[in-house]
Amino acid sequence: MSERDKLLVVGIADMKLAQKGEKLITYALGSCIGICLYDGLLHNAAMVHIMLPLNKEASAREQVFKYADTGIREALRQLAMRGSDCRRVTAKIAGGAKMFDIPNGSIGNIGQRNIESVHQILRQERIALLKEDVGGNIARTLEFDSTNGEGVIRTYSGRPELRF
Amino acid sequence: MEIKNYVDLSSMEIDALREIGNIGTGNAGTVLSQMIGEEVSITLPEVHIMGYNEAIEWIGGPEAVTAGVLAQLKGDINGIILTVQKLDFVNLALRAILGTEISSFSELNELQISALTEVGNIMGASFINAMSNLADMTVNLTAPAFAVDMQGAILAVPMAVYGGQSDYIMTIGGNFQCKEQKAPCRILLSPDIQSLNHLLRKLGVIDE
Repeated sequence: MSERDKLLVVGIADMKLAQKGEKLITYALGSCIGICLYDGLLHNAAMVHIMLPLNKEASAREQVFKYADTGIREALRQLAMRGSDCRRVTAKIAGGAKMFDIPNGSIGNIGQRNIESVHQILRQERIALLKEDVGGNIARTLEFDSTNGEGVIRTYSGRPELRF
Repeated sequence: MEIKNYVDLSSMEIDALREIGNIGTGNAGTVLSQMIGEEVSITLPEVHIMGYNEAIEWIGGPEAVTAGVLAQLKGDINGIILTVQKLDFVNLALRAILGTEISSFSELNELQISALTEVGNIMGASFINAMSNLADMTVNLTAPAFAVDMQGAILAVPMAVYGGQSDYIMTIGGNFQCKEQKAPCRILLSPDIQSLNHLLRKLGVIDE
């Protein structure tokens, strides 16, 4: 791989910034959501991999990127430090699936709650949501190219690769 | 003293949990051996407290596809019991129970899925029974759910369920191997923190 195609891996409860010539990838999003934030003018991108909807519901608050609210806001703050005005930043998201269907279990709706929370935070921050591939019961690997702002989603389940 | 996070566990407490894992995995291995009619050996029982990304590497990377059977524990202990079945294991179970095989997970039919769900369910239930007998506790299991997908997304389920309590995932469990064929299957119990305190008190490891 040439330096031009540098691939930055975003872990769980993690965030990375990328510039032109760099790609971001996060693997196996189940109920978690991958959020790509992009400033097309400066080709600045951020990818966040959140696991839970809201930090304020939690007792363990050390990892800001574990939560949709603090994760998205901290990513926007770091993008702003690289000169990307929030008003130019757009979003694409993927994930929020329901991996296991447990009747009467509390685990089934985490994905859905994540989707709703991400939507709400993006609205509050006035970030336009350009594309999304969310819900269902499939895991997704999300790649984002900061050169052109295009995303690719791969699944295991025989579904064709989705460009968005 | 009560623990507030998995990383607060003392080595003595971890030893007690490893013993739970030993007995639970042993019981699950015995029923597995009966179901498939083969000798089953069990690797050393494991207690792991891992960061999220560390846990994904430990299970073998995020994108490898596996089958998972998951049930929730309710009652004196709340938690998740998860059986992770790799393709070789799936084929071993399918050959023994249905006389069929698959070359990839995408070929699984309904009958095969229900057989694998039942194998995971019986293993999980015998693990939990062994634990609740030892600690004299009542634990109920929800109906099992089955998924085939990237294992990173499967392991992220217990992480997300207890993610509000801790930045770590805790797993108690072990690996199974069958004599002739390597057939990796893993059974994992992820308890919530309050239940862990309850369990350790019942075992007499932490003071009232």
